[in-house]
Amino acid sequence: MREIRVRQNIHEHVHAISGAFVVKGRGSVRELFVHPVKGLGAQPLDRVWLRPGGGMPNDRIFALARPDGGHRPGTRTGLSKKEFFALVSDHRLAGLDTHLDVESDVLTVRVAGHDVLKADLGTAEGAGAAVRFFTRVLDLPAGTAPVLAREPGRRFTDANALGDGPMNWLTVVNLASVRDLEARTGTTIDPKRFRANVLVDGLSAWSELDLVGQEFYLGGVRVRGVRRTKRCAATEVAPGTGLRDLPVVTLIQRTRGHHFMGIHVEVLTAGLLEKGGEVVVGSAPAGQRVG
Amino acid sequence: MRSLSVLRLRVSESADLTPTVRRFVLRDPAGLALPAYEPGAHVVVTTPAGHKRSYSLVDPGGARPREYTVCVRRENDGRGGSTSMHDDVTTGTELLVSAPVNRFPLLPSPEYLFIAGGIGITPIRAMVHRLRAEGRTGARLLYLTQSAEETPFLQEFDGPQDTVHHSDDRGLLDLWPYLAEPDDDVRVYCCGPAPLLRAVRAMTAHWRVSRVHMEQFAAAGSGFSLPFTAIWAPDGRRVEVPAHLSLLAALRRDGIAVESSCEAGVCGTCRLALLGGEVEHRDSVLTGSERLSGVVACVSRATSPEIVIGPHGPSRRDFS
Repeated sequence: MREIRVRQNIHEHVHAISGAFVVKGRGSVRELFVHPVKGLGAQPLDRVWLRPGGGMPNDRIFALARPDGGHRPGTRTGLSKKEFFALVSDHRLAGLDTHLDVESDVLTVRVAGHDVLKADLGTAEGAGAAVRFFTRVLDLPAGTAPVLAREPGRRFTDANALGDGPMNWLTVVNLASVRDLEARTGTTIDPKRFRANVLVDGLSAWSELDLVGQEFYLGGVRVRGVRRTKRCAATEVAPGTGLRDLPVVTLIQRTRGHHFMGIHVEVLTAGLLEKGGEVVVGSAPAGQRVG
Repeated sequence: MRSLSVLRLRVSESADLTPTVRRFVLRDPAGLALPAYEPGAHVVVTTPAGHKRSYSLVDPGGARPREYTVCVRRENDGRGGSTSMHDDVTTGTELLVSAPVNRFPLLPSPEYLFIAGGIGITPIRAMVHRLRAEGRTGARLLYLTQSAEETPFLQEFDGPQDTVHHSDDRGLLDLWPYLAEPDDDVRVYCCGPAPLLRAVRAMTAHWRVSRVHMEQFAAAGSGFSLPFTAIWAPDGRRVEVPAHLSLLAALRRDGIAVESSCEAGVCGTCRLALLGGEVEHRDSVLTGSERLSGVVACVSRATSPEIVIGPHGPSRRDFS
């Protein structure tokens, strides 16, 4: 592989950290998403400020918890995704077009282009309306209802079951890997199936899986790859339709021999993550950590 | 238990309902009562040209029906089943007909909203007639067709609860006003072309899924199509089955002759012996025990990377 010394103009802190950082690949940030309510719609962003150890602001800050599960108001520890209603088990949720205004906490749900719910989740009345609405969508029997979960400072990411640090990991998906999977299986795979925070392009297919344990740059933010993202049946649901129509996990397994698509990353430095920002992966000389 | 018991019935009446839809009444030649059915049931008819096709029964049925009535829309661009029914069948023709199967049953509900598109009226008519014959109110019908001329049973649906809409005159009907307010006391039944089913599914995303019923003739499955390898036991050859081809099509592409008819998993003609590997059965013809050793090649697919298959052999139970 051709190794290029990092150019002066890429990231001033690349230089500041280590003049010996050797660039091994470049790409760009294509799309950014936040999913304010676990299991509900993706909301695109143009840019977001990140801080060390912090997660994607407003990502998975609400969830619909199972009434008979481990979540209680005030729960401060991470829980398995099985404790929540989400696409892996409740694919019809993807048939709803949802948007949470993170300033006002107003959740809007649209079906076929029509508003069917507008509820201020910050009020008891609005939260009640949302719970009644989702009780019906989830087809729960009489006497049961989902619990609208929100715990200040916490987020209901899948990784939150691993601890408070992992709770704030971002997810990154490499579009080249998605295209490779499409080509190998003769399918069309909407990258939104993976519900990642960051979609990147320009890196070689599947190379992102080797970034676990490595530090790299997403725009102006230094991150560390911490874990490959193991995929579940939530990816089988077609965004926007609520139909399970493609066995993505099996497709990956058949063609790659594993269940991974994308990686989790931990934010190491404060900075602005923007669409179009440069992705720089590389390595420090042996025995020397970047930074 | 047989997968489909087969009756030999005689066409006692046939007549055009519209320029493209023909009605056939099937009776036992000796005048015996026929196996029971309820609204939503269908039969598999073997056409004179040998196709096997599912047709909904258009009457409400009951315990000892004297006849089965089906309506067939002529599809000139189809695979020949409907044209054979139109061109080769007259009063007096004898046809092989399966016993009725019901995958679209009418469940109890305080109220109903029926949505029929075109020839999709056939099972819906049986349901509406059953309810109205019982004196039930609250059975609303939306019947969507191209034109009055192409509307089978038009004269039957002119009541206060019926909306018959012709798209040639007024464009597509906006279904939203009928589906905007989900109501747990209403069951929605929809039968029609795929775009109508998609529209109704999309517009009922906020309904309880248990209240929304869609007819689909092709057997239910996950809908997933994965590539896999089929090993043809007679000569050990490996046939790659890509995601976009059925097992049946892939075998044929490789020069292995497999008979078929409906290619929708309802007739069982393309049944093969399953000798190894795991299969997701998507047919509606094999019984549970038959599925241990058989696979219907037109619709079912492997869930393991490889399966071993061979001819179904002497115990075949199709109509031929």
